[in-house]
Amino acid sequence: MASTGSNSSVRAAEAEAAQVENAAPAEVVVGLTSHNDAATIGAVVHAVQAALETAGRADTARLVLADAGSSDGTREVVRGLVAPPRLIELEYARGATFREMPYHGAPGRATALRGILEAAHQLGARACAVVDANRQAADPACIDLLMTPVLRDGFDYVSPYYARHANEGAMTKGIVYPVFRALYGARLRQPAASEFGCSGRLLSHYLAEPFWEAEHAAAGIDLWLAVAAACGDFLTCEAALGAREVSPRGAPADLSTTLAQVAGALFADLDTRVDGWQRVRGSVEVPMVGTVPALETDGPSLNLDGLVESFRLGSRELRDIWTWVLPPRTIVELRKMSDAPPDRFVFDDRLWATIIYDFAFGYCHPVMPRDHLLRSLTPLYSGWLASFAREMRGAGLAQADERVEQLCLAFEAEKRYLISRWRWPERLR
Amino acid sequence: MWEQVDRVLRQATSQIVDHVANFLPGVLVSLVLVLLTFAVAMLLRTAVVRMLRGIEFDRRAGQLGFAVLADWSSTASPSVTIGRIVYWTIVVLGLLVSLTALNATIPSQLALSVFEYLPHLLAALMILVVGAIAARFLARAVLIGAVNMRIQSSRLLSLFVKWLVLIVTVAMALDHLRIGRSILLLAFGILFGGIVFAAALAVGLGAKDAVGRVIEQRLREPERPDDTVNHV
Repeated sequence: MASTGSNSSVRAAEAEAAQVENAAPAEVVVGLTSHNDAATIGAVVHAVQAALETAGRADTARLVLADAGSSDGTREVVRGLVAPPRLIELEYARGATFREMPYHGAPGRATALRGILEAAHQLGARACAVVDANRQAADPACIDLLMTPVLRDGFDYVSPYYARHANEGAMTKGIVYPVFRALYGARLRQPAASEFGCSGRLLSHYLAEPFWEAEHAAAGIDLWLAVAAACGDFLTCEAALGAREVSPRGAPADLSTTLAQVAGALFADLDTRVDGWQRVRGSVEVPMVGTVPALETDGPSLNLDGLVESFRLGSRELRDIWTWVLPPRTIVELRKMSDAPPDRFVFDDRLWATIIYDFAFGYCHPVMPRDHLLRSLTPLYSGWLASFAREMRGAGLAQADERVEQLCLAFEAEKRYLISRWRWPERLR
Repeated sequence: MWEQVDRVLRQATSQIVDHVANFLPGVLVSLVLVLLTFAVAMLLRTAVVRMLRGIEFDRRAGQLGFAVLADWSSTASPSVTIGRIVYWTIVVLGLLVSLTALNATIPSQLALSVFEYLPHLLAALMILVVGAIAARFLARAVLIGAVNMRIQSSRLLSLFVKWLVLIVTVAMALDHLRIGRSILLLAFGILFGGIVFAAALAVGLGAKDAVGRVIEQRLREPERPDDTVNHV
């Protein structure tokens, strides 16, 4: 575990290590990640306890709390509900050591997850579920769905599938999932989600991975864990965890920062697995556990005109920067789109796929500072989101999934373009 | 009398021969130095160009902020331009060294003063290069940031930052070269004072209401609908 540098934290880390070493072996470990979540963590702990009792695993389970230095009494709430030896508290690096707050508002998430997985490994757990403490509605059945597929059905990795409105999670739908699926061949629709379940076998594999200290780890670790599971010889499945309502942690990061962190994490991992993804052809469906509920509320609204205007402004002002990564024909297409009237503003799937691949290539073969490159993607994302949201106006969950499926097929079809750019970088300029 | 004339002539001739004999080795050495200079300069130019091409300098020049090198010459690539700079620097230095070999007072003093000035010249060059890179980096960062904040005059902001950094860089370089120090200081004072004064007047008189509205919006307006969506 990383220490905070102070004597007190070193002592706490030593105490934590002793706590894990002295604890009796556990069949299941539930890891809780938190950061100023006093308002919600109580309900989450209750849900975890209820899930474990229902499954008859309360005696053989441990709750591992990885708290990122909360100042609102989050730890005290948990201590009031669970006592050692069932509760193990981890110490890890606090806010001051982090340069930039990740978009999800939980600093040091990679260190927290590593601590949870190490504890689970040392306790000899057969299954480990990681739950985020900022859930507003914690359902014991959802917690159980992260563990049961591992313990009963022999799956190694359980990826959550939350029912979300068409406009929600657009970055996942438009960039992360299509690229993940096209490159690694697994149809895990929300690979960057902050909750998951994994087997003891996968735990050992995760702990041997080199990405824990890498750049972007704080923001991208959840995605990288999903990638590691998809790339290895592991059985994966999705668990329908219902609608996910979370309590925001502080002020949300601006769109440009969020996009830079998410896309940066995705592209950075892509660069380290070149040999693997170039061999993957097509994609395979992943079994789904649980039932996807219907959405009862209306989705959040989007300022479509503002998004289109953002795209046009970017198209006008950032064209010189885009020419560093995008080929001339893409620039021409973008110019045409920029000149189109608002009611005919459509972002073609294949064009979007090639743009994302071009940016991925530009990220891995730097043509300018990476932060500049990633942030210059924001107007393009705004344009794509405007087109997608207009098309999905009033659409339900099934229609949105169908549309995302079409988009993913375009990404799969254009994968050869990415491979060509990788192998012959100058040919396509 | 003829004997005296003959003696004087002999003395003059021997003096001239002595002078020529003293001067000739210097000429020979300086000729050799000139030839060596050109040979070394050509060799180094070739080596530098090859090395830069080996590390794909031409492709990376733009991203490193050296696009200005390509702008200097419309036909030569950045690596060739740097090769030429190296070549002519060595030629000039070699010629100065060869002048000192002639043992002539004025050329030697000139060479010495140039050598004394050389560190300042190199430092100024370094300041210019770093400044050009910083200007390009900051201008691009401002442009992208402003576009993402949907500021319509993003390009203007970016250009302002770029030229501000470039002007400061050039001023620093000139100051380092000890060229027009007092004029430079005065010009800078007037220029920046003028800009700040003009900006204060523009905001205070011309855009008072607009600035007030923006601040009021910032303080009162709820978040825009598209900001409440969870994108990930």
